[in-house]
Amino acid sequence: MTALSTLSDAQLVQRCRGGDPDAWNELVERFSRYVYAIATRGFRLGEADAEDVFQEVFTRVYTNLHKLRDDAAVRPWIAQLTRRLCLDTIAKKGREQPEAEAAPEEVDQGLAELDEAFAVREALAALPEACQEILGRFFTRDQSYRTISEELDLPSGTIASRIARCLGRLRVEIEGRSEGSGGSRE
Amino acid sequence: MAARCAPDSWAEAGGVAAQALAIQERAGQLAQTDAEVWEVALAALERTRSADPQGDHELEQKLNRAAAAPLEIAQLGADTAELAALTSERCEPQYRADAAAAAALAAGGARAATHLVEVNLTVREGDVRLERARASDRAAWEWAERVLETIR
Repeated sequence: MTALSTLSDAQLVQRCRGGDPDAWNELVERFSRYVYAIATRGFRLGEADAEDVFQEVFTRVYTNLHKLRDDAAVRPWIAQLTRRLCLDTIAKKGREQPEAEAAPEEVDQGLAELDEAFAVREALAALPEACQEILGRFFTRDQSYRTISEELDLPSGTIASRIARCLGRLRVEIEGRSEGSGGSRE
Repeated sequence: MAARCAPDSWAEAGGVAAQALAIQERAGQLAQTDAEVWEVALAALERTRSADPQGDHELEQKLNRAAAAPLEIAQLGADTAELAALTSERCEPQYRADAAAAAALAAGGARAATHLVEVNLTVREGDVRLERARASDRAAWEWAERVLETIR
């Protein structure tokens, strides 16, 4: 049996439509951080409001999944649902542009950055362990070549070129994904 | 710059350019941190001279923090020189002198940062921070010499 985490978005949606409860769990697991990040970082909602949006998004996904025309476009569909619900929440609370509320262009930029970050994260997860390890150490944990060399027991002088090769693989992975997800939306 | 100027001329150019940008960003932040923690340490040193009862412990903590930033800068210098050496090996010949200049500048930065670690009042001979800074300095100069050799 295929591990659900290795399925593409489209395959996962098909399994959900087929009524597989594990697939639903995987779908929520896969997109939960994304939805929460849009609510809290994109729209700066508080924890309680973000939680409400989160619940409502997945309720709507559950009830309306059959309306999604392109299974591969589930991510942008969920993003759109989340945005709408965040705006509804803000409108309902009748906020009068408090200082914490971002301007629309800031929100758009924040959401674009979130999309990019999640795309990179997913592509990174598809790389071999060794690449994930070295890229994570250099770019996420800000480790020096020397530290990476010592801790991974790699000869000094190969770190920079290995990172460069792994970045090349990451680029190919990201480009492959963006080519494969150019379908229409609901 | 050499990697970005000809990104398609060698397979790893894009990856090298990305690393260079990450190092550049980190170096800028570290330089700012270095200046800030040094100001704080200096103020603490003044207070100690005027017999502030908070005493030596606070000063030591602040001086320790003041040694951390240049140590990281020295390591970044070694990383940059190594990246420049890789660039120099793979890039088109017309960019080799730029890579050599980058390696030499990075080695100079590592040397200056190592000196700041050496003169920190909390750092003594045999201190692991000093050893690490000096190792970075040596590595940076070895890479730089290797690159400079190719253009002499």
